[in-house]
Amino acid sequence: MSDTGISSSSFAARGPSLRALAESALLIATIYLIMGAIYVSVQPSALSAYSIESLFNNSLPLMLAAAGATFVILQGGFDLSVAGVISLVNVVVAVTPLEGPLGALGLLAIALLIGMGVGAVNGLIVAGLKIQAIAATLATMIVCQGAALLVLGAPGGYVSDFMAYELTGSVLGVPLALWIALAGVALWSVYRRTDAGRNLLAVGQDRKAAALSGIDVARTEFFSFVWAGAYYALAAYMLAAQTSTGSPNAGEPFLLLTFAAVALGGTAFGGGRGSVTASLFGAATLMLMQKVMFALGVSSFYTGVIQGLIMILAVLFAAGVQLAIRSGKRP
Amino acid sequence: MTQSSETMDGPATTPQDTRRAQRLSSTSVAVIAIYGLVVAMILLSRAVSPAFGGLSQVETIFYLAAFLVFCAFGQGLVILVRGLDLSIASLITLGGVLSTALMAGSNDGLFYILPAILLACALIGVVSGIGVTFFAIPPFIMTMAVGIIVYSLCLGFTQGTPRGFPSPLLRDLMQARLLAIPAPIWLLLAFVAVGTVLQGYSAFGRKLNAVGNNPEAAYVAGLSARTLTISAYAVSAACAGLTGILLAAYANGATLRMGDDYLLPSIAAVVVGGSSILGGRGSFLGTVGGALLLTTLATILSALGIGQGWKTILEGLVILVALIVLREQVFDALQAGLRGLKKG
Repeated sequence: MSDTGISSSSFAARGPSLRALAESALLIATIYLIMGAIYVSVQPSALSAYSIESLFNNSLPLMLAAAGATFVILQGGFDLSVAGVISLVNVVVAVTPLEGPLGALGLLAIALLIGMGVGAVNGLIVAGLKIQAIAATLATMIVCQGAALLVLGAPGGYVSDFMAYELTGSVLGVPLALWIALAGVALWSVYRRTDAGRNLLAVGQDRKAAALSGIDVARTEFFSFVWAGAYYALAAYMLAAQTSTGSPNAGEPFLLLTFAAVALGGTAFGGGRGSVTASLFGAATLMLMQKVMFALGVSSFYTGVIQGLIMILAVLFAAGVQLAIRSGKRP
Repeated sequence: MTQSSETMDGPATTPQDTRRAQRLSSTSVAVIAIYGLVVAMILLSRAVSPAFGGLSQVETIFYLAAFLVFCAFGQGLVILVRGLDLSIASLITLGGVLSTALMAGSNDGLFYILPAILLACALIGVVSGIGVTFFAIPPFIMTMAVGIIVYSLCLGFTQGTPRGFPSPLLRDLMQARLLAIPAPIWLLLAFVAVGTVLQGYSAFGRKLNAVGNNPEAAYVAGLSARTLTISAYAVSAACAGLTGILLAAYANGATLRMGDDYLLPSIAAVVVGGSSILGGRGSFLGTVGGALLLTTLATILSALGIGQGWKTILEGLVILVALIVLREQVFDALQAGLRGLKKG
């Protein structure tokens, strides 16, 4: 029960069941499953191995991007560089011809190096120079977009056959994309129980209190950006594998959708409450929602209306649950 | 956070008034520094090529900056009250799409269609404001959701291809000259004058500043923080709509992605202009300077024939440098140094 740091004890006193609902990914996971059921009922072919594989392949980049952004948001920060890092890593992967499994591994290392490098720069500017995260990461995002254009001026490039086929295929009958997502869930459930994970949430809940209780706030901030960068890089890497090509604008659609996914997962903007697992489900729900609306025959012009409304409702619902926790303490 | 840094970092003996005065003057130092930088860049560009640095280049910069200034004014007001408006791009598109579709290349009804579009945009801003104030939805999420919804409605309304043309009167206005200066630049000057008074000197602006500085204190002082915040979002949305109408008149038609190039620059202009992204500090003249700086840089870089990649990198770096240089602490240090000089 101490995994949320400072106010965990008071939260626990306010009813563990509601608290668990708000803190865990249970809610968004339920929504995802209901939506999946609707999808399958209107489109029975959705259960074919090919459909399932392609659904997870399509969803994975956004899921990873949202997972990364969650690290920064949990400590109360903001990271717009997601769009820039994805564009940059995506084109680097697409123009670096390394064949075979070892080549893919080498490219993954390069990708992570770039992502964590940009994350470290973000961390230094925000935690070291005390510059507002939104403004600082806006600047690094633009720099990365420019760098992506230098690497590849127009959409093009290609990835090795290994990346294009093996990384988008299945292992032991389960799509590799799903394995990666599950690894993300497992990693988070371990991380949130470590000191670093507790500190992340404690800093997000109350910076002053965290600093007073001996947490190195600047260090926590710094590493949240570095982990975020690693996840963005992995997202861009998997995006390149999925599309078999690169684009200097690959990251642009991710800018808003990433934060929409995090919001849908119920993670509080401002920090201190939420989980990476919930964001993974939030992103998956967002992608599944598009498929469901298409299957239901909603004109693709108007899908944005429903997306926007669901985002607002999700935030309101999460706030409502919080309110219920607070008032539920009385009896 | 602005508050906490004030109470935590400030020397305990410094009275609140003095700190406030310091902050105001540090803002004006920032504004002067930005305009100095713009002038220096234009003069320096002359060294690169004799074609630069002339009046015609200055005219081009002002002309292009005007559109950014119009929407950045609203963005600045929203940031002042601790918000952020991500719906600007969609509202620019809405303004453009509605104006070309409704006016359909004629001047008939111009004088009721224009106010109607601005009113519609303002109402959308009110919706964002209500979500942020009464329902406590984070501004980032609320305005992003509203932006996605509005864009989707534009998409549905136009069925993917915007039709119609702006009113000839508006189109001619964008090309007209008055006393040898293009009409849009006059429009820009008038807008800057009104905006500066509104944000910095009117009762409305002072109240917005108060709400941004300390919402609780503003509430105690009898200000309706909610109404003021909602009106900031309404003004922002209306300004974005205006930008869209004028852009469509300038380009003789609307496109669905016409607003995209203005969302992030509008935030960048405000931040480069020395406003705190956390609210409570900022001046419209600073934002105008930020817009001029970004536009000047872009104009010079494209004239130099520098590739899009390097151009984008330099733009990002300029924003970063401006952020680092314009930090409050730097000004406090500068002020302390100046005071030391005076005493010595």
